[in-house]
Amino acid sequence: MSLSEALKSRDASLLPSRRDEAWRYTDLRAAVRVIPEPSPLGTVPTTLGPFAAIKADRSLVIINGRGPEVLSLDAGQVLCVELRLVADRHTTSHQSDLRIDLASGAQLTLLESHEGLGSAYLSSANLTIHLAEGASLERVVILDEPSDAVSVITADITLSPGASLKQTVLTKGAMRQRFETQVTHPGGGANVRLDGVYMLADKCHADLTTVVNHVGPGGTTDQLTKGAVRDASRAVFQGQIQVTPGADQTDARMGHHALILSDRAEIDAKPELEIFADDVSCAHGNTVGALDEDALFYICSRGVPLEEARAMLVQAFGLEVIDRIETEAVRQVAQAWLAGLGAGGSDGL
Amino acid sequence: MAAVKQTIDQVEQLEAYEHGFVTDIAQDFAPKGLSEDIVRFISAKKQEPDWMLQWRLEAYARWLAMDAPDWAKVSFPKIDFQDLYFYAAPSQKAGPMSLDEVDPELLKTYAKLGIPLREQEVLAGVQGAPRYAVDAVFDSVSVVTTFKKELAEVGVIFCSFSEAVREHPELVKRYLGTVVPTTDNYYACLNSAVFSDGSFVYVPPGVRCPMELSTYFRINAQNTGQFERTLIIADQGAYVSYLEGCTAPQRDENQLHAAVVELVVLDDAEIKYSTVQNWYPGDADGKGGIYNFVTKRADCRGDRSKVSWTQVETGSAVTWKYPSCVLRGDDSVGEFYSIAITNGHQQADTGTKMIHLGKNTRSRIISKGISAGKSSNTYRGLVSAHAKATGTRNFTQCDSLLIGKTSGAHTVPYIEARNASSKFEHEATTTRLSDDQLFYVMQRGLSQEEAVQLLVNGFVREVLQELPMEFAVEAQKLVAISLEGSVG
Repeated sequence: MSLSEALKSRDASLLPSRRDEAWRYTDLRAAVRVIPEPSPLGTVPTTLGPFAAIKADRSLVIINGRGPEVLSLDAGQVLCVELRLVADRHTTSHQSDLRIDLASGAQLTLLESHEGLGSAYLSSANLTIHLAEGASLERVVILDEPSDAVSVITADITLSPGASLKQTVLTKGAMRQRFETQVTHPGGGANVRLDGVYMLADKCHADLTTVVNHVGPGGTTDQLTKGAVRDASRAVFQGQIQVTPGADQTDARMGHHALILSDRAEIDAKPELEIFADDVSCAHGNTVGALDEDALFYICSRGVPLEEARAMLVQAFGLEVIDRIETEAVRQVAQAWLAGLGAGGSDGL
Repeated sequence: MAAVKQTIDQVEQLEAYEHGFVTDIAQDFAPKGLSEDIVRFISAKKQEPDWMLQWRLEAYARWLAMDAPDWAKVSFPKIDFQDLYFYAAPSQKAGPMSLDEVDPELLKTYAKLGIPLREQEVLAGVQGAPRYAVDAVFDSVSVVTTFKKELAEVGVIFCSFSEAVREHPELVKRYLGTVVPTTDNYYACLNSAVFSDGSFVYVPPGVRCPMELSTYFRINAQNTGQFERTLIIADQGAYVSYLEGCTAPQRDENQLHAAVVELVVLDDAEIKYSTVQNWYPGDADGKGGIYNFVTKRADCRGDRSKVSWTQVETGSAVTWKYPSCVLRGDDSVGEFYSIAITNGHQQADTGTKMIHLGKNTRSRIISKGISAGKSSNTYRGLVSAHAKATGTRNFTQCDSLLIGKTSGAHTVPYIEARNASSKFEHEATTTRLSDDQLFYVMQRGLSQEEAVQLLVNGFVREVLQELPMEFAVEAQKLVAISLEGSVG
């Protein structure tokens, strides 16, 4: 049961549904009755991507599943790459596969965007990323897809000892959207930061799923996901931290904090720990709640209109995650993204 | 690390089960296996009215169409339901009117349990015995119910389930299966078809039950599934505290235990349900031991009602148990306090569900898991708020303590929020005993063993405090015994 299989055989009954535990909150089968026609060749977009403000060393574009299939960095190479995955047709389907290899000591800043210029498409993107010893990857992803699209993005990331992965995902959702990150964590000084921000409105849905598997001793993982849902939107957070036998001195922390701004919105969270070693320190925290009334009152009392006050608080909530992005220029793009959403929303509250 | 090595050595020797003995009294068996005839046999044995039989048969028919659940993080060989006895009653006639009629072997069994609770004296009719009402379930059939009279004076009904079916059919009919429907899950459905006996409690409006109600379950005959059914109803403004304690004799074959507990709480009523479970966990190689597949659920139907579950789970080879609260009434409160200790080859998948349906409902979950040896300990819980359940609050804290390199601790919480005024907080930690704390305590002159006991006791204190006094003493001892020598 997977989207890839369903796309290949064009059989919608192979789509994962809520009966599959890993997909219980993201039911693709209910959303997609018929697998749409395969997407034709697309045209190079005339619009600029969300990271256009940053001068990248290289720009890769994958349109309707067609484009480069491999990106390799030599040992010690330092590169900033803009990666755009574009869907420009209506009611079609496609799959993209990309392999990224970082040789030892290579440093990649990956500015990845998934842009829906078409509509009602069904898209699957699979990234396989390998980091050799001491390599480092900073991956910042902006998901900008229409509210009638169904999109699943998975990344299977394997780290070697001493490697470093820093990832931040920013999304406003789609009809069904899932961003899944699987990390094989070797320990041995490797460190992983997995962050996410979702700001959903209308009937949008976003699912951030992560699995970090610690297979060796001495690894650290730091995860922070924050988001807000309004109107009838739905956010899903599933985070799993696994510690296999022998992966001692693992230090893993996971946080998921969400604001729910409407009685029609929904947040489903499933932070999981699966631990088979005793000398570890693992924790997760999860909170779901409304905006702080006292803070709202305080801002309003300074003469700020209620709507604006609410937007300020929601933005500030998401900023905590964005502030963890290390490269300043990238952080500014992320901040602009957040500000551009107008993340207030009244919904009768 | 020498301490760790020592731990592992000691854990290996830790399988001398204190309560591993068998009482030798004749049992009255139904033939092995499960069929419609067996269901009829059980019903006839218990002289049940026709409506009860029909209820069982319907459940049996439904059960045939169901599959055993496989989502829990436990593994065990497939159960052959045709190789089990579904009914075993002590050959002595059930329900004697006075204690003199009780088989002395039975009384000896209680004596051997050696539990500090003084129910034994009560059973033996000792003058001035403390006031606990005990409904002893000896392999599926309630043998004796004490204090019935005193309870009857305030209108509390406390009797075996079969007696309730005979004498209070209107209450049973009204509430049975309304909290845990027949088809709720595989094991609950099986229980509905073949349940043998259990306890029934009804507390009338405005009555505060004058004593702690207590029951001892003990699985005795070899290869016997024990299927109790407990139904407790707290009418408006009533209060009752119910204690359940379990021990079982040592056996080679796995034994199945699939109980159903239903609690109904009406307006302003409160039920406190405490469990200490110490069934045989299997031997050092993980052979034998009880399968404990229990469905426990409370329905807070009334406004301002409250349910508090407290459990200390130290036994059983496989535990699959989620005492839950359906918070239907406005301002109702659900609490879940749990200590789950696994050692040897034990597997426990336990937790709770807090389903918020009413306005301003509140729930609190405190779960402490300790895994040692080669065991696996999982917390699995659900907290959900319906769109109309405005103003709900939940606080969840799950802490796991790992002892030894070969055990596993897992946390699988589900949080589902559907309205803008709910506040859910969840935190979970997994660690081992802190070296610093151990060192600190030991440098004050305590041995390593004592230091560990002190720290573990501190770790679970929050939950122990929720137990009724008499139980807390027993539970504290049990925690120490379960982990004896297993830490470093």
